[in-house]
Amino acid sequence: MSKTKIDRRNFLKVLGLGTAGAAMAGCDMPSYVTSEEGVEKVYSYLAPEEYVIPGIGVWYASTCQQCPQACGVHGRVREGRVLKLEGNPDTATNAGKICQMGQSAIQAHFHPERIQNPTIGGKDATWDDALALIKEKASNASWVTGAVSGHQRVLMDVSREAAGNGRHYAIEAVNTRAWEDASAATLGDANPNLHIDKARAVLTIGADFLGTWGNPVQAMRDYGNFRNAPRGVLMAIEPAMSMTGANADTWVAARPGSEAAVVLGVGHVLMSKHGVSAAGMPSAASAFSAMNPAKVKDLSGVSEAQLNKIADTLMANSPSLVIANASHAAAHAAQVLNLMLGNVGQTITPGASLAAGAMAPVSGSTKDLVGFAMDANAGKIGAAIITGTNPTFLAPKGLDMSAALSKIGFKVAIADFHDETTKSCDVVLPMSSPLESWGTHVPANGAAPGTVHIQQPLMENVYANTRGLGDILLSVAQGAGAEGLDGFEDYYGYLRTAVSAMIGSDMEGDWNKVLQAGFATAASAPTAFKAGGDVALGFSEPASAGTLTLITSARQGMFDGRHANLPWLQEAPDQINKTVWDTCAELHPATAAKLGVKTGDYVSINTANGAISTRVFTYKGIHPDAVNVPMGRGHTDYGTYAENGVNPLTIMDATSGDRSSTELLSSSIAATVTPTGENRYLVRSMDLAEQHGRKLVATITADQFDRNQGGA
Amino acid sequence: MPSLLGNVFKGWADYSKANEDGGHHDYEHMYAMSIDLDKCTGCNACSTACYAENNLAWVGEEKFGARQAMNWMRVERYFDEPDVGEGSPDSLERGASFLPMMCQHCNGAPCEPVCPVAATYHTVDGLNAQIYNRCIGSRYCANNCPIRVRNFNFYDNAPTAWPAPMDQGLNPDISVRSKGVMEKCTFCVQRIRGASDKAKREGRELKDGDIVTACQQTCPTSAIQFGDLLDETSEISKAWKRQQVELGKYEQNKENPEMRGYRVYEELNIDTKVLYLERVREV
Repeated sequence: MSKTKIDRRNFLKVLGLGTAGAAMAGCDMPSYVTSEEGVEKVYSYLAPEEYVIPGIGVWYASTCQQCPQACGVHGRVREGRVLKLEGNPDTATNAGKICQMGQSAIQAHFHPERIQNPTIGGKDATWDDALALIKEKASNASWVTGAVSGHQRVLMDVSREAAGNGRHYAIEAVNTRAWEDASAATLGDANPNLHIDKARAVLTIGADFLGTWGNPVQAMRDYGNFRNAPRGVLMAIEPAMSMTGANADTWVAARPGSEAAVVLGVGHVLMSKHGVSAAGMPSAASAFSAMNPAKVKDLSGVSEAQLNKIADTLMANSPSLVIANASHAAAHAAQVLNLMLGNVGQTITPGASLAAGAMAPVSGSTKDLVGFAMDANAGKIGAAIITGTNPTFLAPKGLDMSAALSKIGFKVAIADFHDETTKSCDVVLPMSSPLESWGTHVPANGAAPGTVHIQQPLMENVYANTRGLGDILLSVAQGAGAEGLDGFEDYYGYLRTAVSAMIGSDMEGDWNKVLQAGFATAASAPTAFKAGGDVALGFSEPASAGTLTLITSARQGMFDGRHANLPWLQEAPDQINKTVWDTCAELHPATAAKLGVKTGDYVSINTANGAISTRVFTYKGIHPDAVNVPMGRGHTDYGTYAENGVNPLTIMDATSGDRSSTELLSSSIAATVTPTGENRYLVRSMDLAEQHGRKLVATITADQFDRNQGGA
Repeated sequence: MPSLLGNVFKGWADYSKANEDGGHHDYEHMYAMSIDLDKCTGCNACSTACYAENNLAWVGEEKFGARQAMNWMRVERYFDEPDVGEGSPDSLERGASFLPMMCQHCNGAPCEPVCPVAATYHTVDGLNAQIYNRCIGSRYCANNCPIRVRNFNFYDNAPTAWPAPMDQGLNPDISVRSKGVMEKCTFCVQRIRGASDKAKREGRELKDGDIVTACQQTCPTSAIQFGDLLDETSEISKAWKRQQVELGKYEQNKENPEMRGYRVYEELNIDTKVLYLERVREV
């Protein structure tokens, strides 16, 4: 039971319900908790639950935390240990499936290099001392996090408010920010639902939706249906091949930074050749007319024939879907194309928003990384609490992140692993793994309306002295003096009260149903698209033809670098270049020939921000003017498994890119590439690029496929 | 339950039949797979799920480079498309092709007859099985495998692959293999046994869909199907029939040659049990 009497309004606020007017049932606040039932009694394993049979695994629902998408999972628990994760078949985000990063959550959970004790100034300390120090020094603290949602976000917000309204920086290098901004500007909904399965043709411009963009697990399920007869056509325009590009029927290389011009060029052909109208959008129409194919060819290297092919395919296969994340300009133009092609309402439908907006997902961006570095360097941040992100690793040299961090008087890290950022923090709090702790998550992409995924501990702490993120947030918020939280002894008690209020029942049975399902459904309202309106479209001038430009890409696996300490993912080959355990620089064979290098040769890549040296991989799936170094490796302080490779982000520039964007994934920077003369075999799971006459992957044409209804 | 005498007679009958008709088995099941290459996105979810399910040791860059990796399943990636023409010398015009490759559980497995100690053999389930504690590490089987899907433990990988407490995450349903032993894809035999045992406990026959392999379970596009070819109602036998691919042949006479099913290295007469469905591309 609650220890103090709490004011109802405050109470609803700290539960994340704000003015949503939830029906409050009784306010029992359960206290401590076993991983299964939330009861206070601890049973001997000699008398287990009746369904627990030694040797037989029992599956419990929880939520994956390997990337911001928060897919629902089932974890197999046997003899008190969690052994394997599989997708939760009932969550719309992933319908029973998870990706390789989700599969590897087990390895992160049992990792020998996890932080085991709180430290103050690098020395082991007690939780009480660490929390007391935070209470004393973290007033007015800014929060630096990755993408967050659910009750963790609510607690961060009440903490911030109670401690004097420090800023919240949400940092994610791999994100959908350009698309969100464009969708908000054109449709009035930053997160519309996309229906790849309903589209007959999909054109992507730098949005790797099968790899790292949005929720790839959901996109892949839709993609599987998209490929049933009558088969949808996938087209991709990008400087270097992504996983999505690797599955495209038409793949077009564009010079880095020129993607927006190519989208405008597609619009030009749609208008001039196919008579598609941009009615009611005069400035968009004039941007399209100005971008004639000759200009596109000049800026991007994409030929008129390629533009025609793309436009013809879009016309012949309606409804279609155009997705772009290459830059803000490209994303805006893509959404205008969707409006012109009549896709809005068919393959793009309005999303939904939670009535309890305080729990809504905060998506991260590089913009916040830049903002954080600049504010810290300007001395605007007195104290910072950092969790779920690694700004030191992500920040290009130009942002001067180590100087920025040193200007922050007091820094707290809540982390499960030591990394480049925790190293410079005054207090480090050891976080339990996501498979050991409670939480709620509101998926940003692809969930059924109002769905709140429940993260349930699947086993006791592997390291006894760690605490769940929620428990730590609750202690910090209580320490900051947030009102209404006094009654809660732990995060479980808080969450159970909050979820009970959310579903309008505090019955044991209803709570168990929620845990069993892995999600609860909260009140939500569908969003509505705004009606029309003109959109100004622009494009940026890429570097001139023949100049080498460094770009980076995110691949499922290493992601933004957070998984570099997981050997399973280090050893899972990069999907495109098939390299394991190391970074390589992808070059076009013609460019490599000009430089006199081949696969396995070391090159030094120099930009205005410094130099890195790594081995070359050559293939034809990259624009000849681009050198692509996938991000994620090259850690200096992320444990023994993450030592290999180089980090291209250090020599990138987060403040370049097109006019309105500072996103790392959109940015490109002029580079010179010089061979160092060294060579070492580049370890790959595939040395071959060709089948050499063996019938390994056979291909038939789409006509044959459709003629036979796909063999169904 | 058959009498002891009945068993003896049956055993003798099987033996003589096998002598007359090489490789004859009285199969109880014939587990097989199908993989739709048009749906495969090359994402690696299957191969990583296999690491988690089957206690596969990771080996690090150096050993991986020496072809000593323990990946039972690999996703091969090709950039050429021989069936749809040469392609431009300047750029890829379409995406890449991906091919998930694991032990094909050949019914005419070249690895089986060469094992000096019969550590690899065919089970009544139609599985190509490996008896770890019988294996003496001659590696003849790997040498004879045309698909290169057998992984030999050149080292005692366990201490590096599962430093404590990572060992707590090992799957207790199967063993951790030691140095000197050959290992390979088992079609998740522990899941097959688990599902059979569960069906038996519940007093019913095993039904289609009871057995889900780890790779099939996680495949985000549901490109992988698995089941029993002897069960005519199973999805997998329907798929093989639809694709007009039959076991026991080294050349398929398809009524409709546009059906996408094919098996790799069919011409070697190894009779693989993984049906691949051709990739489809707009031309």
